Amino acid sequence: MGALGQLGMKWVLRWGLVTALLCALPFVLQPYELDIYRKLLFWVALAVSYNFLFGIAGQMALSHFAFAGIGGYTVVILLTQADLGLGLAIIAALLLAGILAFIVSFAATRLEGFYLALATLAFAQLLIVVLDEGGTLTGGTGGLTSYSLPAVFGTKIEGPWYALVMVGVLLGTLAILLRIDRSWFGRACRAIRDNTEAAAAMGVDVARTKIIAFTLTSVMAAAAGMVYAFFDNTVNPPVFGLENAFLLLFMVIVGGSGSHAGAIIGAVLLKLSQDILEPVVGHFHAIGFGVLVVAAILFQPKGLIGTWDNLRARMKRAKGGKGVK
Amino acid sequence: MSDLLELLVSASASGCIYGLVALAYLLVLRPTGIVNFAVGEWAMIGAFAAYLLSAGLGLPSILVIPGAALLMAILGWATEWSVVRPLVVRGAGHLAPILVLLGMLVIYHQIMLWRFGADQFPLEGPFGFRRVELGPIAGTPQSFFIIVTTLAVFGAVWLFFERTVWGKSFEAVAINRRAAALMGINLRMVTALAFAGGAAIAGIAGLLDAPRGSLEVNMALPLAIQGFSALVIGGVNRVEGALLGGIILAFAEDLTRRYVPIPSGLSLGVTPLLLIIFLMVRPNGLLRAREAG
Repeated sequence: MGALGQLGMKWVLRWGLVTALLCALPFVLQPYELDIYRKLLFWVALAVSYNFLFGIAGQMALSHFAFAGIGGYTVVILLTQADLGLGLAIIAALLLAGILAFIVSFAATRLEGFYLALATLAFAQLLIVVLDEGGTLTGGTGGLTSYSLPAVFGTKIEGPWYALVMVGVLLGTLAILLRIDRSWFGRACRAIRDNTEAAAAMGVDVARTKIIAFTLTSVMAAAAGMVYAFFDNTVNPPVFGLENAFLLLFMVIVGGSGSHAGAIIGAVLLKLSQDILEPVVGHFHAIGFGVLVVAAILFQPKGLIGTWDNLRARMKRAKGGKGVK
Repeated sequence: MSDLLELLVSASASGCIYGLVALAYLLVLRPTGIVNFAVGEWAMIGAFAAYLLSAGLGLPSILVIPGAALLMAILGWATEWSVVRPLVVRGAGHLAPILVLLGMLVIYHQIMLWRFGADQFPLEGPFGFRRVELGPIAGTPQSFFIIVTTLAVFGAVWLFFERTVWGKSFEAVAINRRAAALMGINLRMVTALAFAGGAAIAGIAGLLDAPRGSLEVNMALPLAIQGFSALVIGGVNRVEGALLGGIILAFAEDLTRRYVPIPSGLSLGVTPLLLIIFLMVRPNGLLRAREAG
């Protein structure tokens, strides 16, 4: 019993149910729906780790998609051009993303607010320039195509089974970040976000906390990017460019920055609306994202999850009121 | 040699454009602390406004710039009034206005895309494609026009800050917001004016830039990034810094593209690289703030 007992039956049941549902879905979806589903999982995984970076640690970075790109590109290049094994390629790609993130994170210790956003945006732009001009190594503007995931222990992971890998990365990201959020580290991150001087005065090592938060979440983005690289067996620069970096930021704001559930809701809502609306109204659907962000900041800074919390609190009060009568 | 001189003229013109965008950032940033990333969109909208005024309404070219600047000032004022002021009044965090302006950026951009599409509009400057020679210096008339107009705008802004009470009140708000308010300076008015002025100057930058390349909706984001880089290089403390930063950035870009033997695509990395270097090494820019008093 031990650990499980401490967590409680309700917890096990709830997460067991969520896991089972996420894992079962790929097997009942049509191929087109499956494609939307696994890309949605990818976005949700990125939104969850980005929410920790932006919403909880208060670092407005625009490099999250760049790190997803670094993860995806590196693992493909190592597999196809360096002939590394899959396990080694994954470890090396995560390591490279971690080292780069560690270097970039020094910007986070020195810059605040939108200055950090623009420094990381410049980093993301540099990456796109390198990818565009990388010749045969990166495939240039067309990116890398027609490679495939090598067999793992003699079996090829394909179709719905491969979607489970993304489910695994998403749940892993969520589990680690939920755990960290409740530890001293999560509290240190929130303290720095709300008042850096006060946090430092209370003995929080501001620089170290910022560096760890940035590096950890960026490596998580790289992990998601690695899985993404084998969705359609193609990676190209625009996917990891600025537009998606901004969209990710908008997802977290609309859903409710600082809240894990909010990030998930924001990502699902915005990504699905994009998937549904884009074929109908073209790129113009993006105006909705702008309107949602403006509305969220003006009227509900806690995002959709804040509205939901308010609603629940009001319902509880209404119930309580009746009870007193 | 003449090749280099011609390059210097066109680079100076680019630098002036970047400097104007940086000035548009600076006008809003100094008194309010808000980094307005939507200035790129404002520049693009200004360029389209000028295009519509001259090609659509047939306004004489001498009235196009003031007309477009006035329209942009109204847009800037309206933006401040509708989305920024409510946040300032509520006392929302310092990041909220920046994020709300990012949302406005998307709204502007999508409306313009919907109205004009992503196509390039071939545009002829008011002078056509002739070539002007001033002794050994040669360039397109548009380049010289950009340089002269930019100097005029910077001169006007400099006079505004140095010689008028309003300019002094801007500076006072930038130095100490609360003390300025206690001295009877109308913070709302300063903020509204900053947005109106910023939008007008961004619009001028856009309408000057469009005839050199092409008028298109997607000209906005590069201008926003280059303008911000120019601002960081020159420093946010002084008006001249914006122009200096713009010139340095444009020279670095153009000289790299022309003389450094790397693929032209890689030269696109110059701006982000300079931005990162300056943010990390010299976040206050080249020019130091003037001593008070």
